[in-house]
Amino acid sequence: MVNSDGQLFTIEGISAGLIMLLTAYIVVNTTSIYTPGDTHISDMQLEQLGSDALRLMNTPNTSATSAESSLQKIIINNDTAQFSNTFLWFCNSTTSGTNDNLQFTADLYYRDKNTNSVNKIHLTQTRNLIGGEHPVRVTEWVHLNSNGQVPVNNREQAVLVEVLLWRD
Amino acid sequence: MLDDQGNLSIDFLAGMTIFMIALIWISTMVPGLLITLQGKTIDYDAVAYRTGAILVEDPGWPASPPWDNLNDLQKGDIQRFGLSITKDTPNVLSLHKINRFFCSTAFSYPSDYQSRLIFSNFQYLFNISLSTFDRTINESLGDVKPDGYGHIRRYIKIKYPSNTTILAPNYLNSGVSGGLSDNTTTHVFSVQLNCTQLIWDETNVAYQINPLTEQIMVNISNLNNACIFNPCPPNLISLSSIKIYRQNPSQPFGQVREYLSSDPQFNVYIDGSNTPLPALDPPSVNVNNNVSVIFSPGFFFGMASDSSQMYVNYTFTLANPDNFFNNTFTTPYHYDYNPVRVTQPLLKEGVLEVAVW
Repeated sequence: MVNSDGQLFTIEGISAGLIMLLTAYIVVNTTSIYTPGDTHISDMQLEQLGSDALRLMNTPNTSATSAESSLQKIIINNDTAQFSNTFLWFCNSTTSGTNDNLQFTADLYYRDKNTNSVNKIHLTQTRNLIGGEHPVRVTEWVHLNSNGQVPVNNREQAVLVEVLLWRD
Repeated sequence: MLDDQGNLSIDFLAGMTIFMIALIWISTMVPGLLITLQGKTIDYDAVAYRTGAILVEDPGWPASPPWDNLNDLQKGDIQRFGLSITKDTPNVLSLHKINRFFCSTAFSYPSDYQSRLIFSNFQYLFNISLSTFDRTINESLGDVKPDGYGHIRRYIKIKYPSNTTILAPNYLNSGVSGGLSDNTTTHVFSVQLNCTQLIWDETNVAYQINPLTEQIMVNISNLNNACIFNPCPPNLISLSSIKIYRQNPSQPFGQVREYLSSDPQFNVYIDGSNTPLPALDPPSVNVNNNVSVIFSPGFFFGMASDSSQMYVNYTFTLANPDNFFNNTFTTPYHYDYNPVRVTQPLLKEGVLEVAVW
């Protein structure tokens, strides 16, 4: 005996499936465009703050031919307390209202001429970086042309200051 | 038994297809319809970031002469605001550009700023604030910030221009070999701006003294102690003229300007007055102690180049003959990179914030 049971349900099922797939596609397509930018904006703002702070610490206030930047002086004298004060002074300052409250940990990378290896010195930090934090990384190359307490063979060279910066 | 239950009609399929095509087409336009509503938070941050980058890293346009040298009537020629000294010095801002940018009499919020800084068809509102860490500069423009807005904070250094203070008793005419102008009534003192040396001896523009684009300030003080018997008698000293001379490799030495009346780019202040001397043609003006001359940025731009030597000549007339402030028979006073003579350009730290909504 011939009847049409099944034929009806198959075609309805296919139609309904197509509609659901299209709907899902449209929903996903219209909502996903906002997600990437949203997650990176706070990182971008933090990176900009840290990058500006290091750049300005590495810019002398008077003629560059005779003056050293505060970052150069800090590294030459190994003055980690001054690094902390100056860096936070830059990063937390605002034009009005309460100051920001950022945390950081800073390291110094240099090449050891004797062993021809890149070594790291921990400069300073506000507190330990724990697993739940989401830091951004900012760096600044610093040119050193005088002798100092940094174990870098007392020679003219460039060292890299790396700061991990995060917000509480 | 045959019947038509379960058969999907061609009409239904055709209608459904048309409906689905229309639905998909309209759906693709939904993000565009919602972009002013749904995308605000993210869009605000992006506009704030872009605005901050333009202000801190861009010198603006036109660049030569710089936009900040244009007067209020020429503001239509300004295409883009930017506070950086040059494109090679990000984060180092010009003090004169900052003063012009925040000048509420020259520019109207928000229209003048939207077309030269925000660059968007959407009429964003914004608040821009700038201050030095020592709070000697504390500027702001725009509306009060609402609850939700996009934001960026940038750290900057502001370049303060050079200036010199000349102590008149250190440049007396007495003791000059031959005493050619001892005890005369007319005395000339000359200040030299060697543009070639100033521009090429210091190539880092963050620390450069550039007479073509920056303010030059010359203060002459202690004039009343520049006589044989000090202090000088009252009403003895008069300022007769201030003339600008130019020497170019390809042109003869000659006068190019004279201070006749107050000029927005060339102002003279007598004895610490806050208002510029209105006129100096003639008669001469009595001076007790100090003469300050401020050449605003751009004053020398049209009359000099990086190969010019400019001379600012002061002529003083005395009521009675006397030795006085005079370097006619020695050498001009050099406005240069010697910190003993000239207070060098100085950078000061500050912060700039942009909020957009």
